[in-house]
Amino acid sequence: MFDFDATLPLMAVQFLLLAAVLNAVFYKPLSKAIDERSEYIRTNEVEARERLAKAEQLAKQYEEQLAVARRQAQSVIAAAQEDAKKIAQQKNSEAVAEVQARLEQTRKEIDEQKQAAMTSLEQEVDALSRQILEKLLGPSLANR
Amino acid sequence: MLSDLNYLTFTHLASLEVGHHFYWQVGNLKLHGQVFLTSWFVIALLLVASFLATKNIQRIPSGMQNFMEYVLEFIQSLAKNQIGEKEYRPWVPFVGTLFLFIFVSNWSGALIPWKLIQLPEGELAAPTNDINTTVSLALLTSLAYFYAGFSKRGLGYFRKYIEPTPVLLPIAILEDFTKPLSLSFRLFGNILADELVVGVLVLLVPLFVPLPIMALGLFTSAIQALVFATLAAAYIHEAMEGHGGEEHHEEHG
Repeated sequence: MFDFDATLPLMAVQFLLLAAVLNAVFYKPLSKAIDERSEYIRTNEVEARERLAKAEQLAKQYEEQLAVARRQAQSVIAAAQEDAKKIAQQKNSEAVAEVQARLEQTRKEIDEQKQAAMTSLEQEVDALSRQILEKLLGPSLANR
Repeated sequence: MLSDLNYLTFTHLASLEVGHHFYWQVGNLKLHGQVFLTSWFVIALLLVASFLATKNIQRIPSGMQNFMEYVLEFIQSLAKNQIGEKEYRPWVPFVGTLFLFIFVSNWSGALIPWKLIQLPEGELAAPTNDINTTVSLALLTSLAYFYAGFSKRGLGYFRKYIEPTPVLLPIAILEDFTKPLSLSFRLFGNILADELVVGVLVLLVPLFVPLPIMALGLFTSAIQALVFATLAAAYIHEAMEGHGGEEHHEEHG
């Protein structure tokens, strides 16, 4: 059982040879492959992260722009509404003023005509009253 | 008649030949042929697996490459855990080959019915159930940790013998002998004992009863490979760091 002979050193040599050969055909190429893969994954991950950050930044920027545009649109609408209101008010007041002016003018004309009618009536009143008086009292009495 | 035949084949399958070897004579050197035959099988298996895994390396692994990458990462984490993040890389081939060679040897001994192949003398079994193999691996481990200590710390490596206190010098020296001894005998004893237990049980109760023991044997074989590789890595780490441990490597937990 404990029978030592040249198997021992030869086995050691054989083992070292196996280690060397396995190093060449197994450990080295595969650890290289694993390292390269992890390197690849790491760079890709970094790139992806950068891209994600960029995309997020762009999204944020767009959102900001959108907010600005929305605010502008709102202010434009508000301004337009204000303008429209102003114009409407102006038109309204103009119309009221015109109506007022017309009213005034018409009233004035009526007054004038009334005045004219009154004066002509007054003149006629005098003549008429005299006529009435002459008719009632006779011309002699009346002209006294 | 039939039972006689069964008995004969089973006794043949279960026959144990501890201490008999299939000797090869090379010059005036004696070799254990059966150990080399199975170890060549193990080596061929490892080489074929490595070749299949690396002949067409893809970024997205599949099939054999995937499996061997899993194996490699297991070995790397073993070495990393024992030796530490900074130093483990040059030791991966040594520790990994220890693990793979012992593991495949043990399992080939447990799973492949070597005994169906007749040899003129002795029998085929796991290479690790021969004391020569385990001692050679253990001595290589000793050389490896001495090399690691000297290349890392130069002659300061000898400080480890007297470092906490010179009183422990004999024990420190003794350690250098007990380490390879315990490594080799642990592996040898476990594998041989497992094969003996299975053999005896097969001899006594040929059907079903040995199966749990065989399963247990598979488990032990795997554990022994892991223990051998882990201890080798731990010894290498210890040699590089010294007992004082200027820089501990607990941070990788």
